[in-house]
Amino acid sequence: MTATTTGLPARVAEGASGDRAGRRDLRAAASRVLLANWTGASTVPSHTLYPHQWSWDSAFIAVGLARLSPRRAQRELETLLGAQWDDGRIPHIVFNPAVPHEAYFPSPDFWRSSTAGAAHGAPSDIETSGIVQPPVHALAAWLVHESDPETSGRRGFLERVYPRLTAWHGYLHSNRDLGGHGLASVLHPWEPGMDNSPCWDLPLERVDPAPATTFRRADLTHGDAADRPTDLDYGRYVRLATDYRDRGYTDAGTRHAFVVEDPGFNAFLIASEHALAAIALTLGQDPGPHRRRARALTTALVARLWHAEAGLFLCHDLRTDTPIAEKSVTGLLPLLVPDLPAPVVRALLRTASGEHFGLGSTTALAPSYDLRGHSFDSSRYWRGPAWFNINWAVERGLRQHGALTRADDLRQTILATSGASGFAEYVDPRTGRARGTTDFSWTAAVVLDLLARTEEPGEGADR
Amino acid sequence: MLKTACQEQLLPGQTLQQKWDFARDAGFDGIELRAKGDLHFQERLPELRAARRDGVVMPTVCVDMLHFFGAFDADLRRDAIVQLKSQLSVIAELGGLGAQTPASYGMFSRRLPPFTPPRGADEERAVLLDGLTELGEHAAKEGVSLFLEPLNRYEDHMVNRLDQAAELIRAVGLDSVRIGIDSYHMNIEEADPAGAILAAAPYIGHAQVSDSNRFQPGAGHLDWPVWLAALHSIGYDGYLAVECCLTGDPVEAVRSIPTLLRRSGA
Repeated sequence: MTATTTGLPARVAEGASGDRAGRRDLRAAASRVLLANWTGASTVPSHTLYPHQWSWDSAFIAVGLARLSPRRAQRELETLLGAQWDDGRIPHIVFNPAVPHEAYFPSPDFWRSSTAGAAHGAPSDIETSGIVQPPVHALAAWLVHESDPETSGRRGFLERVYPRLTAWHGYLHSNRDLGGHGLASVLHPWEPGMDNSPCWDLPLERVDPAPATTFRRADLTHGDAADRPTDLDYGRYVRLATDYRDRGYTDAGTRHAFVVEDPGFNAFLIASEHALAAIALTLGQDPGPHRRRARALTTALVARLWHAEAGLFLCHDLRTDTPIAEKSVTGLLPLLVPDLPAPVVRALLRTASGEHFGLGSTTALAPSYDLRGHSFDSSRYWRGPAWFNINWAVERGLRQHGALTRADDLRQTILATSGASGFAEYVDPRTGRARGTTDFSWTAAVVLDLLARTEEPGEGADR
Repeated sequence: MLKTACQEQLLPGQTLQQKWDFARDAGFDGIELRAKGDLHFQERLPELRAARRDGVVMPTVCVDMLHFFGAFDADLRRDAIVQLKSQLSVIAELGGLGAQTPASYGMFSRRLPPFTPPRGADEERAVLLDGLTELGEHAAKEGVSLFLEPLNRYEDHMVNRLDQAAELIRAVGLDSVRIGIDSYHMNIEEADPAGAILAAAPYIGHAQVSDSNRFQPGAGHLDWPVWLAALHSIGYDGYLAVECCLTGDPVEAVRSIPTLLRRSGA
């Protein structure tokens, strides 16, 4: 039997309406998703659509697992870190060798990490992709530790992961500052995690698509084509990945067709750098280097990507050295950064609830893209739907900057919508209708975390 | 929170009433009884009725014999069924939920010489299905359940995993036969204990708890939060009945269990 939301008690479908029984049932249903998606050493995002281990998925999953079993949460992250390359990169997919190649594309025989990535220290005995995803991992490791410091300390969790997480940030700092402005760049639309965002439409126009006859998509087998990227976009994704692979996954000294500074990616990096400082302090080491790097990243983020007239952080296309004039939820994610200038915070809070994102007015959950944007589509992958991990991050940001009522409202909406949608991969931001696949791991994970925070005494201090 | 019970022999005190006082004080919600052979359990009825009148909660009974309904010897099989039927009737009279038994215990292991059991697979299956059907029909008549407990490979050679028990229960086709899971045996036999609970969800009727080393929960290395979350996620609302050996001061060991289970998410 696999996890299913069919026949869930009505209380779950109603979400965490606030009563104890509703929260208990929602927790049980979310737990069931994560237990069923566990594969022995890590958790798949979805048995059907994503049957391997994904990098930033695992980070969010670990945050949820910490509320279920701190030991399993630690294992989730350590399994991912076990596939880290010698150059420090954490690959965006770690392939399960027991899953047939045709179950997912691009499969291990496309990425060929153990050979094509050998010069950068890709593992010889585990196949992975060669690109990366947002660095949520150090933040996740810290939250896992915080959920049960005694178990974490007894098992030496932070001692083991700290050098690996430091190497990961070192990779992004040394290899990915391709603009030379102190921010990490992404080389593929899949790297910032918002694969099909309209932000990438213009930069992708420069990319010759790989012919559709040269690859076979697996995502359409389990997903509705109307919710997924188009074939033309997919051809461009394949071209970029092929070129990167054929250059041996080398970052510097080579001309990438797609190079973008993404505010969300860098916001997660800053939040994670602060987490590394906390980890260092706990281990009796010097947090100074992490704090200095977090400060430098924050300064660069505001200087490079903040656009006061838009009231939002924008992506920056390094090929043309121009801002990308699309309003994406990635531009709200710097709310995760603790020491933003006050005017920037005030403007971000206005933008979040304004006409472009409508949070708390026209939408209950933050959409992935501008409600008034020319490319808005309430059901297509990252072109409008709301994602639960992103809304978890927005909730965290709102709380951090003192917008407690709005954070509380968003938290309740996340809890109510996730259960009612069958733990959907993403939802229509206005109606909450499920899109993509269901029984999706990070959706269940953020529910477990938010439920636990709801019940913590003195929770208001969580900022 | 799931209800907890403690097997009677683990509790200090001379009488069930004294044991119940200790159990309640420690945070248990019930006492799991143990049933010896020769109709001993039935002979305890006056004692058990008095305990019930005094408010002792006794939801389940676990067989405490050395022969079982899956025995190689036909006479021992027959006796085990007679004993179990009687035990089911007694626990029904006490207002309980059911009786737990393995197919066998200590009779044969495929991991130990001579490795091959004297009975063929077809005959073993027929014996199990016959026994479960007769016991299940009796349980149904009494309004209680028979809980079939998979044991680890060193203690039984027929039913080791939850999926084997579930398959037999499907073949028997009686709602009165359920699986009585045991965390200790599952730790040895199941690749993913929590996943096994989810997979066997509709068939699970009872749960016994002890840690990876057969000592009290908390004394070994089981991931209790995961195991308990799996039970919550399938909507299990029965008891967690402690059946274990004790390490450390025995009284303090028993007293520690409800707190450990509650802190682990029970």
